Amino acid sequence: MSKYKKLVLPLILVLAVAVVAMFGKTLSTKSATVKDNRTEVVFWHEMGGPAEKSLMKIVDGFNKSQTKYHVVPKYQGSYDAAIQKILQTHGTGTSPAVFQAFDISAAQMMHSKFTVPVQDFIDKDGFDANKISPVARSFYANDGKQQAMPFNTSQPVLYYNASLLEKYGITPPPVSPSYSDITRVAKQLYERSHHQVKGMTVQIYGWLLEQAMANAGVGLTNNNDGHTGIPTKATINNDASKEFFEWIRENQKAGDFMNYGSGAMAGTNQTTGFLNGKVGIYIQSSASISQLNKKNKNKLGITYFPHPDGKKANGVAIGGAALWISNDKPKAVQNGAFEFIKYSLKPEVQAQWQKDTGYLALNKDSQQTSILKGLYKQHPESKVPSQQLQEAVPNHFNSGILMEGMQKTRQIEQFAMESIYNGGDITNALKDTDKKIDDNLTTTNRANGYH
Amino acid sequence: MLKTSATDVIPEKKVEAKQKSKFKLTANDKYYASIFAGPSLFLLGLFVFYPMFRTLYISLFLTNTFGNTTLFVGLENYVKLISSPDFVSSMWVTLVYVVGVTFFTIAMGLLLANLASQKLPGIAIFRTLYSVTMGVSVSVAAIFWLFIFNPSAGFFTLLTKMLNLPTINWLANPTNAMWAIIITTVWMHLGFVFLVFLGAIESVPTTLYEAADVEGVSKHYQFFHITLPMISPTLFFISTITIIGSFKSFGLIDLITKGGPTNATNMLVYRIYNDAFFGGNYAKSSAEAIILTVIIAFFTYLQFKFLEKKVNY
Amino acid sequence: MSTLLTNVCKQYDQGKTVLKNVTAEIETGEFFVIVGPSGCGKSTLLRMIAGLTQISDGEISIDGQVVNNLPPKDRNLTMVFQSYALFPFLSVWDNVAFGLKARKHDQSEVEERVNNALKMVNLEDLKDRKPRELSGGQRQRVALARAVASDAKICLMDEPSSNLDAQLRIKMRQEIYALQRKLGITLIYVTHDQVEAMTMADHIMVLHDSKVQQIGTPAEIYKTPANEFVAGFFGVPPINILYATKISDKAIRVNNDFQVDLDQTVTEKELKVGIRPNELVVEKADELSANATVQNVEFLGDEKIVYATFSNGNEVSAIVPSDAHFDMFENIKISSTNNVLLFNQDGINVTANREDLINA
Repeated sequence: MSKYKKLVLPLILVLAVAVVAMFGKTLSTKSATVKDNRTEVVFWHEMGGPAEKSLMKIVDGFNKSQTKYHVVPKYQGSYDAAIQKILQTHGTGTSPAVFQAFDISAAQMMHSKFTVPVQDFIDKDGFDANKISPVARSFYANDGKQQAMPFNTSQPVLYYNASLLEKYGITPPPVSPSYSDITRVAKQLYERSHHQVKGMTVQIYGWLLEQAMANAGVGLTNNNDGHTGIPTKATINNDASKEFFEWIRENQKAGDFMNYGSGAMAGTNQTTGFLNGKVGIYIQSSASISQLNKKNKNKLGITYFPHPDGKKANGVAIGGAALWISNDKPKAVQNGAFEFIKYSLKPEVQAQWQKDTGYLALNKDSQQTSILKGLYKQHPESKVPSQQLQEAVPNHFNSGILMEGMQKTRQIEQFAMESIYNGGDITNALKDTDKKIDDNLTTTNRANGYH
Repeated sequence: MLKTSATDVIPEKKVEAKQKSKFKLTANDKYYASIFAGPSLFLLGLFVFYPMFRTLYISLFLTNTFGNTTLFVGLENYVKLISSPDFVSSMWVTLVYVVGVTFFTIAMGLLLANLASQKLPGIAIFRTLYSVTMGVSVSVAAIFWLFIFNPSAGFFTLLTKMLNLPTINWLANPTNAMWAIIITTVWMHLGFVFLVFLGAIESVPTTLYEAADVEGVSKHYQFFHITLPMISPTLFFISTITIIGSFKSFGLIDLITKGGPTNATNMLVYRIYNDAFFGGNYAKSSAEAIILTVIIAFFTYLQFKFLEKKVNY
Repeated sequence: MSTLLTNVCKQYDQGKTVLKNVTAEIETGEFFVIVGPSGCGKSTLLRMIAGLTQISDGEISIDGQVVNNLPPKDRNLTMVFQSYALFPFLSVWDNVAFGLKARKHDQSEVEERVNNALKMVNLEDLKDRKPRELSGGQRQRVALARAVASDAKICLMDEPSSNLDAQLRIKMRQEIYALQRKLGITLIYVTHDQVEAMTMADHIMVLHDSKVQQIGTPAEIYKTPANEFVAGFFGVPPINILYATKISDKAIRVNNDFQVDLDQTVTEKELKVGIRPNELVVEKADELSANATVQNVEFLGDEKIVYATFSNGNEVSAIVPSDAHFDMFENIKISSTNNVLLFNQDGINVTANREDLINA
């Protein structure tokens, strides 16, 4: 025993240092934040920049209106990183009561069984969910139950430089354009500007390919995009995606298409190119609108996401993120979380949110508020994304894809887009994409025991 | 005390035994050994060996959404990787990148160091200029080069437009993107490598060059037959750390190309990160990490086996 | 056919003068030693002859051709550096062959010349060793072999023996001398060691204070030094310099003490006298007649050196036979023979030449 006795002191010292280092910080922050006797509701979010400011306004508004609950917001970095944190901290003291998780993590969150379906609270509270955009709700619903409440919501729309179109005497595209409508405008712009302005670009971004399929009314996987069962096979190799890529290829061949690549700055470069009048048309989230309005010296034009020729648009799915309620907190805290969600969906709150950030107001009554009326008066084109959202009738194919591993799937889709943009065969690229996604699905389903 | 004086009289064989016993640890030695080595062994174990074995362990399983091991599959992850053209292309891409970065870093570093070691007025300015990238962080470098590579307003684009040459889309074309990443990495490494080479070149005795001058040896010959062999230990050191460093390159790839286009710059390290933190496939990414470890170990072994002998004079 | 230095000057940009008006003729095939205390510019002079350092003014010509602006390789000379400048990564053989290979000589010619050179310096057995596996003397031989192999007619050596211990230095000195004689090359040798200069040189150039003090054969330098500096630089122990006053046309009083009768006429009233230690006469003396006290005695075998202090504090050293016995602090009386050197107040030698005296 005496042999080990000598080791005790140094070992204790080492452990003590480690313990202090690990827990010292948490202890001190905990003692600092307890200040009133309202129930504390920890809220994790991933809004940075201007959207964060606007979100803080909502949180402050809620806290001021409350005597029972107090929301403590905590910024968690990127959407991707936050998912891992949420999954890894569940059940510990640091986990959130309500959190923001982005669209493509919906399946993962549902399967985790770490959350309470929002539907439970809606039923108890008698909250009128019909006021909330149906196509947004259907994205986060499963088995007829609302799993999470959509919060910051956007849809892809097509932006064009209206000033340039005017300058070259080009008729603007209709509000719900077909591929060939866009091709016409892009080609004219390229030719009439004597090749000084590229006609259009479509960013290498998996989301856009998914939306092209959604708008054409076809699914990305079997089991109706996961809404009627766990997906086991990808179905990207279909006529709708081929038509989408052939549309792009036609414009590439005509020379009016600009490829900004897939690098870290591709999105920024594309926006800069559009603002500087180097490219006339691009497709981007409707949330970009406030940025485009602020810095644009040209007139902004907006249409719906384009659809295949000779078909009616099926409507695109929403993007963005939703609010989920954790099941590892006491009932009182969970109720507080739902109160906060309810508050965030109020017509005025949503209207202000749209005005500040460009994310779409989800409450139907928001359109009647003076806030949005004023906005539409100043920027009439801002109405177009809201219309697109309201017009969409939800079905399996425009309600998102309920599938785990969507982040990886996006990368595989982007790989296909890159190889096609660089001249690769469309059908081969799509076949290859299906195969890769199938491989991942097989592994994921095996690992998780889904059969 | 008594024991040492006794050695005088004990026979030779016992003296030998006695000397051997000097290297046997006494209880006291063990106590101090554990005090001094204990903390670092503890930390190494916690932060190096445990993760390493854990990675190896995970790589033999399938992992579910939460990263937990669920199904033992033996070497299946490895077999799948090695037979996947995607992964094999990643290995090639990594190899091209490592060879490219190492070659150009060393060549440029040597060239600049050789230039800056000339005794010319004002050379100090160039020395500072050449070493300036040492103080640049990866993120700053990435932003800097992204501006240069920008397809509509970047420096290269403006330059080619001014010269009426066809514009190169640096980051959208697979071959160009690889060049872009290599150029950026080389630029990042250059400051440090330049300084180390400069130090090495400056420490070569000038009389060696003077002796060669007197004997009528050309400057060119002097560089390859005096400077290079004299700095070969430094050359070896730099090539080793550049090779290992570029195998591990991550920041620039993440900040500039994100592995694209069409995986043209998807190096092994980036793929590991991607599969784990985007794909959520910890098993696959663990297997990739083990393969990368083996490759780096193999390269390091080769270098030490074949190169080290040649550089020690 | 010789190396001519005419008014060679060296100044650095900061205005520091290293060499001023160095003029000399180095004859073909001679052993020419440049000697002087450290910092006198002797290495600079050698490097200027080699072409490694630009000259500021004057002219250097080799075999009738002005080489001021010729690069080292075109001067047809070779050089042995103080550090030997051996390539640590090459074997002895390759070190010697380096320059020949670089100049793309024939393979067979390189082999022949290298092997000959190594044979000449007795290094054949060590030809595969690396420099770090050699002793100091062996390294110097490699450097010599390199000079030999180059086949140049002029060889410059910059203090090649300064890194060797005393024993080895004597040995290498002999080897270098023998080598120079055997090859018949012109050897220009820089050293700070007056013994090396005296023992090896055909002619010595003494440098001091950026200027040439004297050029001559070892005997001339020793017997008729041009000035006080040269007189003091050569000889062990160094010459004793004492003050003297004229007491008659042919007699002086040294150190306000003893009288020396001279063969020549003295013109100056005040002068300095240089007396070699072996020209001093030391006798035991009583308190009254003594003029100095013994400070130290060094036993050298066949003779002894007595270090003494005059009553006025001036110090001298004298050589006495080894059987003479002096104790420390013993009172002695010191006087001198008349074989002395006379210097004026500026240190210029004013001793009349002995041959002139005889002729007169």
